[in-house]
Amino acid sequence: MVEKISFTINGKPTTVEVDPGMVVLDVLREVLNLTGTKHGCDNSTCGTCTIVVNGKAVKSCNLPVKKIEGAEVMTVEGLAKGTELHPIQKAISESGAIQCGFCTPGIVMELYGLLEEKPDASQMEMENALNKHLCRCTGYEPIRDGALMAQKLIKERK
Amino acid sequence: MKFKYLGKSYNRPDAISKVTGKAIYLDDIRIPGMLHAAILRPEYAHAEIVKIDTTEAEKMPGVVKVVTGKGCTYHYGDNIKDLVPMAIDKVRYIGEPVAAVIADTLPNAEAALEKINVEYKPLPVYVDARDAMKKDAVLIHEENGKYWHLPTLKPTPGTNIAHTYHLKKGAGVDGFKDAEVIVEAEFNYPHGSCAAIETHGSIVWFKEDSTIEVWSSSICPFIIREDLANSYGIPVSDVRVRIPDIGGCFGYKSDITVEQTVAWIASFVPGYPVKWVATRKEDFTSSLIAHGIRSRMKIGARKDGKLVAIQNELLHSGGAYADTAVNITIAATHNSAGPYEFEHCDLTGYTVYTNTPAVGAYRGYGHQEAQIATERMMDLLARKLNMDPIKLREMNYLVEGKVNALDERMWKTHGDIMTCSNMVKEKVFSSEKPKDDENYYYGRGFAAAMKSPKGAPFSTKGCYMKLNNDGSVSVSMGGAEVGQGLRTVVRQVAAEALQIPPEKIRVYNEIDTQLSPYEWQTIGSMFTTQGGRAIIRAADKLIAVLKNTAAQVLKTDVDYLEYNGEFVFLRNDPDIRVAVADLSRGYITSDGITIGEYAHAVSDARLPRYSNPDENGQGSLGVNYTFGATAAEIRIEKKTGKIFVDKFTSVFDVGQIINPRQIRGSVLGGVTMAVGAALYEKLEFDEEGRIKNPHMFKYHIPTYKEAIPMDIEFIETPDAVGPFGARGIGEHSVIGPAPAIMNAIYDAVGIDFFEIPITPDVMKKALEARQEK
Repeated sequence: MVEKISFTINGKPTTVEVDPGMVVLDVLREVLNLTGTKHGCDNSTCGTCTIVVNGKAVKSCNLPVKKIEGAEVMTVEGLAKGTELHPIQKAISESGAIQCGFCTPGIVMELYGLLEEKPDASQMEMENALNKHLCRCTGYEPIRDGALMAQKLIKERK
Repeated sequence: MKFKYLGKSYNRPDAISKVTGKAIYLDDIRIPGMLHAAILRPEYAHAEIVKIDTTEAEKMPGVVKVVTGKGCTYHYGDNIKDLVPMAIDKVRYIGEPVAAVIADTLPNAEAALEKINVEYKPLPVYVDARDAMKKDAVLIHEENGKYWHLPTLKPTPGTNIAHTYHLKKGAGVDGFKDAEVIVEAEFNYPHGSCAAIETHGSIVWFKEDSTIEVWSSSICPFIIREDLANSYGIPVSDVRVRIPDIGGCFGYKSDITVEQTVAWIASFVPGYPVKWVATRKEDFTSSLIAHGIRSRMKIGARKDGKLVAIQNELLHSGGAYADTAVNITIAATHNSAGPYEFEHCDLTGYTVYTNTPAVGAYRGYGHQEAQIATERMMDLLARKLNMDPIKLREMNYLVEGKVNALDERMWKTHGDIMTCSNMVKEKVFSSEKPKDDENYYYGRGFAAAMKSPKGAPFSTKGCYMKLNNDGSVSVSMGGAEVGQGLRTVVRQVAAEALQIPPEKIRVYNEIDTQLSPYEWQTIGSMFTTQGGRAIIRAADKLIAVLKNTAAQVLKTDVDYLEYNGEFVFLRNDPDIRVAVADLSRGYITSDGITIGEYAHAVSDARLPRYSNPDENGQGSLGVNYTFGATAAEIRIEKKTGKIFVDKFTSVFDVGQIINPRQIRGSVLGGVTMAVGAALYEKLEFDEEGRIKNPHMFKYHIPTYKEAIPMDIEFIETPDAVGPFGARGIGEHSVIGPAPAIMNAIYDAVGIDFFEIPITPDVMKKALEARQEK
């Protein structure tokens, strides 16, 4: 059973013909070849599969593809403009927040969902957002540093 | 010494590819014609396989082949060849491969898997070495003792003991006669998982020309290459292994883990690449697990606090296959003397077959499992002697001139544990601790740490560098970047060695056994030391090539030339010079005649004078120790028993800091992992050998809100082996946290713990039991 599902991906309209039972993560990775979004844990615990749907950060590993019909979907591949990094990417890549990098796309997209909508997000909101992500490498301190630096860069941009 | 490019926080060469989602990890690789495999796991942790029926599975949509272990005639392994790629007539742990489906898509493979019927005859299950060692225990491997193994290993045929290691120093156990005070206790460091965010995975492609191509999320491509060649009877050169970016390792992607199984599966469909990636559950149940070490330790001292003798017996529940566990047992055993000198040592470690997944490397590799006991024992002994526990340690540290359990003399270049210890004492213990209040008890605990190097007779690391015609340099090595920041180290060390700025040094991304220089495997915190030394040796050769060519250009003797990264010039007259870039392809004269040779160099470095253990279990490990000291400041919530680490302090003597931001990151991550082990993490087995918590939401690793405030400092006593005096630091930070926290708990509430994790439940029960007393 195959259905046509249409949505925009990183600003471009697209239509996929997939089994409607598929989860968005598999559609991104296996159908659209957007492998920047990672598969970490199978049950929406680790957060590395996080993408932004209609401005909100969501985990894509348990999100049925039908739910993104007509939606605006952003993945980590959609943030940089050529060699110009998004401020969140710049901050995260310079704060020491990256070691193995496997949790990074999810964290970048979590911050994108939060800070693009709410550049003045409170400390509590930042903590609640980042607490949805597991990182085994960094001890989180450099992720916090990167998130604060990203927030500063975004505020200065506006 | 002043360095130009060391001690500065250059950004990681892979930061941008990782933050843009463009770094390629194993599961991101797509190869034309690629098929997908799913693997069936048994219902029992120990059982005979009576019958496997694959007929229904073969009829399922998209299925190309259904594979079982039937017909497999080889065993494999690096230390003991006790492994099989797929169960043949018996399963020995709950995650063992029993059968596999190869299909066009993963969902089709997974659907067909459910149609395979297997009949088992269950056997008794042993999760704990104490049970597997009982006289009447059923043998997990009837063949124990008959498998090929390294000559240094000692299996006991007719038992479940895969290896016994014994170390004797001085008079051994007889040394206790000189002791005036003795303490004794039993400890347990239970099984855990590295739980990297990226699970294991491999792609194997048996090609029509009888060569094999492999991609894997592994840190030992050269071992995989040799092992597969050996199993399939082809030249080593016909196996090519490539390693993409790795999403975290922490140990369990070392040795051969999943590659032989995926190869066995792929061997049934020659011509087709087959991909298999572990689900999170499989990553817990079917890759290497960690620890599982019980120890019974006895320490004897004189009344003044001078240590005299140590005895330790370690029972290592090594899992269903002992190939990967044996060296951890050895490391845990000889490192159980910790950073202290004992005149007499009697240390015995048993690697025991049990019905759990095989135990393999985990960051720390035997050190935290052993030193949890040593560091708790120091506090217990100090209490008995009525002495300050840090003062007791100070009297016995392995400082310059002392001799460790392996009989290696400590030199100044092994680092300065006394200064580390004094710094932690000053930082943490020079003021009063907070007074208990309505909600919390407060405590502080100390733990020192020692990490030995990890080698093998052939454990070298290679480096290849070539100078390009604009003066930039390309460097290739076989070291696996797992996140630890190895590429940054390569770049900065090469820059320093060549006096060429890091911006002009391009470091390799992928490892490819066809193209990369040989490396044994990227383990044991040895890359900075050995890899860095290989870089310096290659750089020296490259500079010699440049000088040889320049001598012809400048018409002088080689030894009259100097090199500064930009030019080769006459010592007495720097104006007579030739640009390094102009020497890269040899020197092309104005008439086109080229003199000299292409400017490239290859070198390697191993641990100097590394040797196998002698009849006393002693020997040279290769002169590269790292010492440090740590302390935990904790708070225990009275109502819940929850332990909060308010601050964790670490001071290590790292010889020379290469990248301050990265080295702090390494310790931040290591301490966090170890606090996870101390407070939350444990693989739970039921009596049938099933893992009860094989998911991230059940196996709790530290989260963002549980991040620990840390005070991290380094001192720099240059090392004799490492590049520019640097030594390893990757694993060292995991050694101190558990015992420091346990010592802090005693300080807070007077309760002694001998086992981790100390969850709120465990703590609360202990507090209640104390009140009842």
